[in-house]
Amino acid sequence: MNFPSIKITVWDFPLRLFHWLLVLSVAFAIISGELGGNLMDWHERAGLLILGLLAFRLLWGFIGTANARFCSFFPTLNRLRAYLDGEWRGYGHNPLGALSVIALLVILVGVTVTGLFANDDIASHGPLFDLVTKHTSDWMSGWHDRFYTMLLALVILHLLAIAWYAIFKKQNLVLPMLTGKKRVEHDEAATPVMSSAWSVALRFILAGAISVAVVWSVANGGQPFVEQSAPPPAVVTPEW
Amino acid sequence: MKKFALAILCAAISTSAFAGKEEDQQIKVRQSAYTFMAWNVGKIKAQVIDRPEAYDKNQVIAAANAIAAVANSGLSVLFGPGTDQGTGWKKTRLKPEFFKQPDEVRKLATDFNREANELAKVAQGGNVGDIKAQFGKLGEACKACHDKFRVKED
Repeated sequence: MNFPSIKITVWDFPLRLFHWLLVLSVAFAIISGELGGNLMDWHERAGLLILGLLAFRLLWGFIGTANARFCSFFPTLNRLRAYLDGEWRGYGHNPLGALSVIALLVILVGVTVTGLFANDDIASHGPLFDLVTKHTSDWMSGWHDRFYTMLLALVILHLLAIAWYAIFKKQNLVLPMLTGKKRVEHDEAATPVMSSAWSVALRFILAGAISVAVVWSVANGGQPFVEQSAPPPAVVTPEW
Repeated sequence: MKKFALAILCAAISTSAFAGKEEDQQIKVRQSAYTFMAWNVGKIKAQVIDRPEAYDKNQVIAAANAIAAVANSGLSVLFGPGTDQGTGWKKTRLKPEFFKQPDEVRKLATDFNREANELAKVAQGGNVGDIKAQFGKLGEACKACHDKFRVKED
């Protein structure tokens, strides 16, 4: 059966914004973290940006457009089986790719959340360091490092998959992530119903506002959920 | 026979009890040295980077001098053979590679001492921007050795 080929919006604007800001901020966090020194301040800022992006992505997975929603692409056994049998129809994340998406999100949450409590035994620590003991922070630092190694492996896998699609399947996966558009064979059954622009914009603002609030709270040591100790009164230390 | 067995037992207990005593002591002292330096690093960071408005020239000089003094105190003595194993205040995280790459160790240690001494010098000058820049270099010197010769946190 031949369907006329048409262009559809496969990735909505907030999703694309999320994706590319995540690429930039993760790349920046890696470089600043590897170089250390005074760049650690920037590593911490990059971490907060990543935290906000992840909070947004998790919310968007519930209130975003069809292809962004977890329920639409979560790699269940049935979906994976259908995909491997060549029976999967869809334009968003395919079930195998979805496995990688979920893994990337879980590992990014891991590396980011442990980083909030971590310390480098030099001069830097995450914004929530004061909420835990040094011992716990050291343990978090160990996991921060392990998640980082896993993240590097997944990023490489991600890039290899894109290269694989480009070379062997002659499919450009990068362009749709930039423009949001993808040329597909028209197949009504698989075309997601797009909601009105106003509704998407409203939900975008809502998810964005919550994400900003999360970042603000964490950057301020957990306010207002954690009671902030008042600045210690100026202690008069003896002259010795 | 009984006496002999007792002597063996005593020897066994004493050697196991004292095995690594000197190594553990070295580890303990060097852990103390680095902890003390970290305390001073923290004070400089608080005054120069986190809250420059709270900058107190004399306090920063005192902290930088303390770091330089510890760096110049001959810490290499505390890295005797076999001290990649053992427990000071806590288990050491020194990698065995430390003893296989003496040239690299010397380079990293010399870098660290140079940056620490430079920080003490810059602190005297009292220019917060200069102190901040040199403070970053010291942090990089710390990190270079941690990355190479320190076991990752478990």
